[in-house]
Amino acid sequence: MSVIAADDDLEGAPRPRGTNYINAERGIVSWLTTVDHKRIGLMYLGSVLVAFALGGFFALLLRLELLSPGHTIMSANQYNQAFTLHGAVMTFLFIIPSIPGALGNFLVPILLGAKDVAFPRLNLLSLYLYWIGAIFTLSSIVTGGLDTGWTFYVPYASTTNTSVLSVTFGIFVLGFSSVLTGLNFIVTMHKLRAPGMTWYRMPLILWSLYATSIVQILATPVLAITLLLLMAERVFHIGIFDPALGGDPVLYQHFFWFYSHPAVYIMILPGMGIISELIAVHAQRKIFGYKAIAFSSVAIALVGFLVWGHHMFVSGQSEVAATIFSFLTFIVAVPSGIKVFNWVSTLYGGSIKFTAPMLFAMCFLFLFTIGGLTGLFLGMLSVDMHLHDTYFVVAHFHYVMMGGTVTAFLGGLHHWWPKMTGRMYSQKLAAVAAALYFIGFNVTFFSQFILGTRGMPRRYYNYLDQFQPLHAFSTFGSWLLGVGFLLMLYYLLKSLKSGAIAPQNPWGGKSLEWTDAASPPVTENFEHRPVVTEGPYEFNEGKS
Amino acid sequence: MSATDKPARENEFQVAHHFDSADVQFDAGRMGIWLFLVTEILLFGGLFCAFAVFRSWYYADFVEAHHHLNRVMGAVNTVVLICSSLTMALAVRSAQMSKTKLTSLLIGVTLALSCVFLTIKFFEYSHKFHEGLLPGRYFTAEGFHGHHAGIFFAVYFMMTGIHGIHILIGMGLMIWLLRRNMRGEFSSRYYAPVEGFGLYWHLVDLVWIYLFPLLYLIG
Amino acid sequence: MDAHANPAAHGKDHVPHVLPLSTYLKTWGALLVLTAVTVGASYVNFGAANLWIALLIASVKAATVALVFMHLYYDHKFHAVIFGVSLVFLAIFIIFTMFDTQTRGRADGIERERPADIKAPFAGTQAEQKLKEQRGALKIPGESAPTP
Repeated sequence: MSVIAADDDLEGAPRPRGTNYINAERGIVSWLTTVDHKRIGLMYLGSVLVAFALGGFFALLLRLELLSPGHTIMSANQYNQAFTLHGAVMTFLFIIPSIPGALGNFLVPILLGAKDVAFPRLNLLSLYLYWIGAIFTLSSIVTGGLDTGWTFYVPYASTTNTSVLSVTFGIFVLGFSSVLTGLNFIVTMHKLRAPGMTWYRMPLILWSLYATSIVQILATPVLAITLLLLMAERVFHIGIFDPALGGDPVLYQHFFWFYSHPAVYIMILPGMGIISELIAVHAQRKIFGYKAIAFSSVAIALVGFLVWGHHMFVSGQSEVAATIFSFLTFIVAVPSGIKVFNWVSTLYGGSIKFTAPMLFAMCFLFLFTIGGLTGLFLGMLSVDMHLHDTYFVVAHFHYVMMGGTVTAFLGGLHHWWPKMTGRMYSQKLAAVAAALYFIGFNVTFFSQFILGTRGMPRRYYNYLDQFQPLHAFSTFGSWLLGVGFLLMLYYLLKSLKSGAIAPQNPWGGKSLEWTDAASPPVTENFEHRPVVTEGPYEFNEGKS
Repeated sequence: MSATDKPARENEFQVAHHFDSADVQFDAGRMGIWLFLVTEILLFGGLFCAFAVFRSWYYADFVEAHHHLNRVMGAVNTVVLICSSLTMALAVRSAQMSKTKLTSLLIGVTLALSCVFLTIKFFEYSHKFHEGLLPGRYFTAEGFHGHHAGIFFAVYFMMTGIHGIHILIGMGLMIWLLRRNMRGEFSSRYYAPVEGFGLYWHLVDLVWIYLFPLLYLIG
Repeated sequence: MDAHANPAAHGKDHVPHVLPLSTYLKTWGALLVLTAVTVGASYVNFGAANLWIALLIASVKAATVALVFMHLYYDHKFHAVIFGVSLVFLAIFIIFTMFDTQTRGRADGIERERPADIKAPFAGTQAEQKLKEQRGALKIPGESAPTP
């Protein structure tokens, strides 16, 4: 079992034999009109990686600008536009569609033992809407930029003369894309499970994607109406958010965060699902507390709707509401904690292999725990008064969003790369890249915790000289991160050309994509319809 | 690749390759529609939230402003929408019984009723424009005691406007349904699009059922 | 829910559940009557209850439409759950937002009565007393912001 193909001695190996979903049809038209969930997943993967590169490019520019106080490489206005685009691109074009759109689309039907998602053409539509939304969002780069921050807070967003309209419209369209993905996943999981695939035999990533889909469906429409109102406010001055006309700008924040707080669970939940898979497979151990992990995903999704006001502690929200939201915020920490404890318990006594996916899973455990715990500082009303809008917040959400979601995404990418492409990548280079990533990440962002507690406000172009060493340290970390990503790009692309042919089950997994589908899978996923007789984590532990 | 995209005749309906049976395919479609309706409810929900907040703040202004809406026109439109809901429900029923011509007729009546609805809405809107009963900055009507009638009309125009857009989209979908029905694509074996659209149309009616008393009757 | 209940059923026809015509007509009649009732009730002023009466009638109408026209009564229970969940979350949205909008300014009175000195926000409070005890004889350079 668990044969990890020795990669480097199979250079220049022949192409994968036989027909699979990649070579079944040829030509760009066959890709653009496909309804195969795997091809759509692959196109999503390419798209979100481009978005990630773009957002990362803006991040590197920002860090470079902050290397020294005052003007370093760009003007204050350019800086405002750069951090806005960094935030908007990373949030709406990368993190939210990343795991569900790319890995989820590829995996959900295979893990269920189905031939496709329930609504294949809606799935393609979702990808098209993503592209259309992305074009509108990115068009702001050439049409005057955007300097509101990714949150588009009024009153500034309704008065600034940058291109708010095209971006908000783009994100409105992206919302539809996100809803269609979520809707498709829920129906697929209800209706298309293979014979014997009961709810409790579903791999945990499916539970977390199910929870994610719930949030996508319940929260995204509120973003849509928020953006519609914002557009109406800008174009027709309807006054709903304008205090001069009797409106209320804080109401905008309620609307926005009713979506955007649950949206952070759209971002992190699929990552948690991936980690459950990685830890169980690469430690060859039955997951500890399957039901606890499964239901904590749903609990996070639901309780996550009750806490949005903790983004608004200093906004002029009433003291009563702030107290309630602060209290409820602590409750969300419970299911997250349950997950972390279960993952660590799974590792205990397992035969851990330090493969690339496992290394990323380890990074996740470390970074997400820091991110989650610092969230408690910020959830506490009195502490947040001081830390609000400082680098502490920036560091916190990068630890959760990047240290959590991006790390999980990278782990998942390395885990399923052989399945998606049929090729193995270099484990050695992957380990080096993971190390660079981990060190670079902590250098970049841990210094920002310190900056924040010392009073460095976020989104500032200029700063006091006393903050310079820590800023320089953080910028240095961002370069390490950049090198790490370039290295990943190098060996993953190289594997496509000359990587060893991936066996069907390189990691010794027990879920359907490893046991029943080829690498890469055929067009309708399985040669024979799988019949499921046991759960996805029944490893032979006695043997190892 | 599902069977819906081929111009198949009635007897050519095939269960899409990835479903186990026609029943599963039907249920999947219906569940998809219901999930979509959830997004509609929360979309309108945002406006109801704004309404609740501003009404509680500016109660007197809202009551004063709502007297400028035409209660009779609102009530007539309510009746029109309820009738269109009935004809649509009956259209689904006749599709279930493979009565193709009756289905076309009933969808046609629903379409006609939605035209009536929009016509009445048009007259209401033009009246408001004429009087200067407009949202926010463009509110120019005189003789109001309160200062926040503009907010009421902002909520009014956003709510009825987005509702009206839903009616327009519904009309487009009805024309599409009519074409397909006339080609004989729907029968008791396959009528999922008719049923799905019916659910959408009832939801549009359902939203109006709340809009009407809140905006026209109690303000 | 039961995707795998009967794999052999592929190709078997879907049999629609047709409701009798009278059910639809009765529902329609009930909706028209309720519309008349709600319009009629609006001519009577019940004060603050106006809102709740209107909402109650509207909800009865909405429930009728959902249960009969939208077949929720006859459909899978799960679809009713989906519908119900959306209403629950809508209620959360509105109620939690109103926790804020209905309770703003509660602290204004206290702040007016005992305005805080921005330069020395803890002056005259227990906190200041404790701080002094802790710092003992240490001389604190004013209560102003720390020198950069």
